Amino acid sequence: MDRPIYEVRSLKHSYAEKTILAIEHFNVQPASIVGIIGPNGSGKSTLLRLLGLIERPTRGKIHFNGREVEPFSNEARFRITLLPQEPFLMKRSVFNNVSYGLKLRGNGSNINTRVNEALALVGLPSRDFARRPWYALSGGETQRVALAARLALKPKVLLLDEPTASVDAASAQLIKEASLRACQELGATLIIASHDWDWLYEVCDEVRHLFKGRLFGTGKENVIFGPWHHHKGKLWQKELADGQRIRLSEPPPQPDAVAIIEPTSIIGTTETKRDDYGPGILEGIVARLTLEKTSDEIAATILIGNLPFTLKFSRQQVQAENLYPGQRIKLYYSPDSVKWL
Amino acid sequence: MGFILEGFLQALHLLASGNPETFSAIGATVRVSSYSIGASLIMGIPLGFCLGYFDFSGKRPLRTVVDTLMALPTVFIGLLVYAFLTHRGPLGNFGLLFTLPGIAIGQTILALPIVIGLSATAVESLDRKLRITIMSMGANRRQLFISSLWEARHGLLAGAIAAYGRVMTEVGISMMVGGNIKWHTRTITTAIALETNKGQFGMGVALGLVLLAIAFCVNISVSFLRRRV
Repeated sequence: MDRPIYEVRSLKHSYAEKTILAIEHFNVQPASIVGIIGPNGSGKSTLLRLLGLIERPTRGKIHFNGREVEPFSNEARFRITLLPQEPFLMKRSVFNNVSYGLKLRGNGSNINTRVNEALALVGLPSRDFARRPWYALSGGETQRVALAARLALKPKVLLLDEPTASVDAASAQLIKEASLRACQELGATLIIASHDWDWLYEVCDEVRHLFKGRLFGTGKENVIFGPWHHHKGKLWQKELADGQRIRLSEPPPQPDAVAIIEPTSIIGTTETKRDDYGPGILEGIVARLTLEKTSDEIAATILIGNLPFTLKFSRQQVQAENLYPGQRIKLYYSPDSVKWL
Repeated sequence: MGFILEGFLQALHLLASGNPETFSAIGATVRVSSYSIGASLIMGIPLGFCLGYFDFSGKRPLRTVVDTLMALPTVFIGLLVYAFLTHRGPLGNFGLLFTLPGIAIGQTILALPIVIGLSATAVESLDRKLRITIMSMGANRRQLFISSLWEARHGLLAGAIAAYGRVMTEVGISMMVGGNIKWHTRTITTAIALETNKGQFGMGVALGLVLLAIAFCVNISVSFLRRRV
């Protein structure tokens, strides 16, 4: 295995004495695509800003290519670039926005060519867009120009913070294609924070879950937020929007604790009921089927009262179960398999 | 009301005929205001940037002090500068009293809080995402500073115009520190005061219109510059 391009150790970051991020250990391999999944406020943007050397962590170290780096480090500032969540352009023309980073680096010789290539990559023809001022663009075009400005730099690491969150479907598709293509051509490392699970499962070599500032698992775990209520005896439960209940055989550490159920601990089937799972039975609808990049398995997203569950199936199982989006399916899990975050 | 029309006609005459006394006052005004605005921009923009950009303890009280100093009375500045530049004052050896550089020092003190305060406001109003954008492109500290200033250019320009207007039109400093010496330290505003005292309202109005014309030319130039950038 290559030396990690990023090594993060004992990282802690706080705002106004409130800890936003606490990561003990996080490595990223060069030329890999890493996805970060987590709810709003989980610390995804903060993590990307720290990896992008925009901010200095309150505590801990970030190593890039084996060397400790911080904001303005000469070893890294020309190799790493971050596309923030909200599109932002400086008050200048599209051409000057895209060429800005090249000028900072003193790459004056072939600026025109690189700007034109970058704009073409995000589906904005240079002849139509290069001279436009920053205010004469739609939200999607602004985000694509912002991406083009990063791609023109030919970075070693491209950090994308919710790149498709505020754009239409067509722009989202162009952004996804452009960033992946650029990374393939440049051999760059891509770290994406996104809610787009399908996209991440499809393209990422590794997906990590970020919750309350802590990285865990592979990003494919089913995370179930409290509150939990006592049912009877040892049983605790959470009632879902459609009236079904997720039952636990042990009391949670606290009523609003966050439970995790591994996809491998759940069996999904369209067959008739199996009795050996006791109270751990749920019924839902197949929302999505996504082919995973690394495992060649199919990740199925099952909606149960608006709560998405992820299960893994082999191709044969999908064929045998005749799974398709919209189909009803039963989930069996053992209440003993629930872990707490 | 006749003297206003008379003043307007006299202003045209003074400018068209190249009246040496008028042009001496115009020259003194332009020179001294250029010195002072140049000095206040050089000092005030970096200080205003720091005040608007960085968070530090005591920032809010400091901002209040700067905002208060924006309303400094010109006669008070004139008095202080006079006290420093007079032969008995700490800077008396430099011989700056009753000179254009002496007036420029006073006018710089007048303009500096305006430039600092309005620059800080311009920088504070910059989008927080700008810093992330500039840094994510690989900027070093100097490039971050210059690029942020460039993004705030319209606000900075507005601050510079406000400060320029204030120094061009002040009387107290020019009168007290400059002494209103003909051919030497007489500016347009001190000349207006003198002509009005003499009862020459027409001449006073004429000089006032000349001052207005200069201000108009400066604003036209800045407006043109603003459209270009």
